[in-house]
Amino acid sequence: MLFLSLARFWANGWIEELYIKPKYFFGFYGFEYIKPLGNYTYIIFMVCAVAAILVAIGLWYRAAIFALFLSFTYIELMDKSTYLNHYYFTSLVLFLLMFLPAHRYFSVDAYRNKSLNVEFIPQWNLDVIKFLVLILYLYAGLAKLNSDWLLNALPLKIWLPARNDMPMIGWLFNYKVTAYIFVWIGCIYDLSIGFLLWNRRTRLISYLSVIIFHFLTAILFPIGMFPYIMMVTALIFFSAQFHQNIINLLNRWLKLPAEFVQNQQTFRYTPFGLKFRIAVLSIFFFFQMIIPFRYMLYPQELFWAEEGYRFSWRVMLMEKAGYAQFTVKGENGKAIVVNNRDFLTVLQEKMMSTQPDFILQYAHLLRDYYHENGYPNPQVFADVYVSLNGRLGQTFVNPQIDLAKEKESFTPKNWILPLNDEIKGF
Amino acid sequence: MKLLSASPLKYTLVGIILVVTVFACSKSVENPTKNNTNETDRKALLSNLSDQIILPAYTDFKIQFDDMLAKADAFTLNPNTTNLIAFRASWRVAYINWQKVEMFDFGPAQTYAIRAHFNIYPTNVSTIENNIASGNTNLEVPASYAAQGFPAIDYLINGIGVNDTEIVAAYTTATDAAKKINYLKRITNQMSNVFNQVLTAWKGDFATTFKSKTAIDAGSSTSTLINGYILNFERYIRAGKIGIPAGSMTPGNKFPEKVEALYTKDLALTLAKTAQTASYDFFLGKSYQNQTIGYSIKSYLDALNVKDATSGKLLSEIITQQFEVINAKLNGLQNNLYSEVNNNNSKMIDTYNEMQKLVRLLKVDMTSAMSITITYTDNDGD
Repeated sequence: MLFLSLARFWANGWIEELYIKPKYFFGFYGFEYIKPLGNYTYIIFMVCAVAAILVAIGLWYRAAIFALFLSFTYIELMDKSTYLNHYYFTSLVLFLLMFLPAHRYFSVDAYRNKSLNVEFIPQWNLDVIKFLVLILYLYAGLAKLNSDWLLNALPLKIWLPARNDMPMIGWLFNYKVTAYIFVWIGCIYDLSIGFLLWNRRTRLISYLSVIIFHFLTAILFPIGMFPYIMMVTALIFFSAQFHQNIINLLNRWLKLPAEFVQNQQTFRYTPFGLKFRIAVLSIFFFFQMIIPFRYMLYPQELFWAEEGYRFSWRVMLMEKAGYAQFTVKGENGKAIVVNNRDFLTVLQEKMMSTQPDFILQYAHLLRDYYHENGYPNPQVFADVYVSLNGRLGQTFVNPQIDLAKEKESFTPKNWILPLNDEIKGF
Repeated sequence: MKLLSASPLKYTLVGIILVVTVFACSKSVENPTKNNTNETDRKALLSNLSDQIILPAYTDFKIQFDDMLAKADAFTLNPNTTNLIAFRASWRVAYINWQKVEMFDFGPAQTYAIRAHFNIYPTNVSTIENNIASGNTNLEVPASYAAQGFPAIDYLINGIGVNDTEIVAAYTTATDAAKKINYLKRITNQMSNVFNQVLTAWKGDFATTFKSKTAIDAGSSTSTLINGYILNFERYIRAGKIGIPAGSMTPGNKFPEKVEALYTKDLALTLAKTAQTASYDFFLGKSYQNQTIGYSIKSYLDALNVKDATSGKLLSEIITQQFEVINAKLNGLQNNLYSEVNNNNSKMIDTYNEMQKLVRLLKVDMTSAMSITITYTDNDGD
């Protein structure tokens, strides 16, 4: 019985990224063929931007949302050094929107073709998006149920003192108890906020807490758009009347006829269309619910080996730093210690030095490059030193293993040396 | 999805708000200046480092450097053996003291690229010869960096002839003697200009700006300072002075001719030790003048209570110990690193390996504990 009126709040803001400068890119496993296209990369961004505007105003919606999903996801897949949970979230929402009639009300499409215009859509159309948001928060909360976060207040205990020069509240961050209070509130917040937003009686106050919480994280940590995206997304939990008021206001402002926003029509799917959507969405949510738990299949510590870490709504959980040196030895006896800056950008090197899949991809890149440049059929050895959440650093990769011969797969990577510690919990 | 009813949730929320309020109130009665809070005050840290170490070090270097410039002038005005020996002695003192300021690789030093004009080695003899011949090559471009500074002077006053008589002859009786004198003047002037720009900036507004930028994000004082400090240790002490000549970056190939101060056979180790000690003292926060200990990277780490979780040992102690291990390794080397690489390279490699361990501690453990991002990509020297 509610309206879908949200897509328009989305647009804009993701055009600025640069995918042209770096020499090499880290593709996602299974999607390595997705690469930036040199200067044509700008065209993808333009497609993405135009599609975003079209979706927002609801013009040529079906084509536009399809193009938006593809172009945005393509951009996301080009280089995993820039992977962020909220890009992934945006991709998922766009995927859902492909199957929803978001253009059927208060859109240019509906204005041009009156037969499309409907005032009501089935409740579940909104619920699927709410459900995705709920999963995001709930899983982010579950991920915080571990000993580093709850018992040691890590990594906030490290990050907060770095902000102790902030006006007004800075001095608070010199106290350990501040970090503990932050982690407990953060955990309870994530676990409960999805339900609190869903419930009509707690909605307003929980939305206020969304604003405060995300605003605080936005000023404390360099996490970009995420807080703002969540602030806007959470609006979908508000009642039909709330959105109706906004729309009525816009309608008057745009001087459109009142019938445009009040036509009493209800949207109905064809029987096949409905079945098709139920099938797709069931599969989608089934995977959404199990993917974050795939780490359980891997023997190593999740935060350490990061097998099954991405796509799981794990945010702000780790302070991880690393230092990686590669030695390449050719068949002809020639050997060299690689200078990483010849191949990678600062960001890429930072990501590479703590994440095994990057390390392996980079080792293969070095193997192929040096094979062509005077070191035939080389062996590649990595000396990697990583520190996790305040633990003293330790050797990360078995330095005796020739990474040139190791293959990427979903099976556990036995060349990662185990962490000399245990993190309990999820 | 209505798994929970409204009322318990409401109470949870009220509970959270209550906790926050209680916390906020209880905080305000505590005394915020007690015990360790001062030690994480980055303004105090930055003030001590700039007032007690950086500025005194630059000011002191200026004295030896000016003396070297005066001796250089005397030599170019009247190239004879006495003036050559005086110039050489003064150059040596200045070069040693340069090692105490090279690590301040941020702010004005970076803006004016002082290292590029002072200490890029191995010096490129053929570029020097070309520059001498042309007489007006641009010294500001990267292609000229390896043909100026202390290493170029080293060649010009130590390497250009087999003995003092030959060297003096190069500036008196040789056909291009005037051109060589001209080049010596040009590169010493260049050093003088660059250094004065850096010192003027520090004595002007920069010190104030430096102390006021107390944040810790990229571009803040603490971050740029630490980045420059670690870069200097990793690339210019570990790799430049020891690793590259010893062939640590190129297993199976060593390059003794890449040692610092190549033409003055007995100086390289002294330079390395001086740089190492300066880095160590900077970490400890030792005043340049009177050796008293003030706010430092070490005291900052201790205030954050950074420890190895398993042994309970302070990170600052682990770092201190590693500095000592390296000192011991350096003490086991002969003054002439050129011959050490040729005859005793395993000791050089040993030293490099211990320095490598310190790089890890500084670059990974220390920065991570301080929440500083490494913003340079120089992983290894070339």
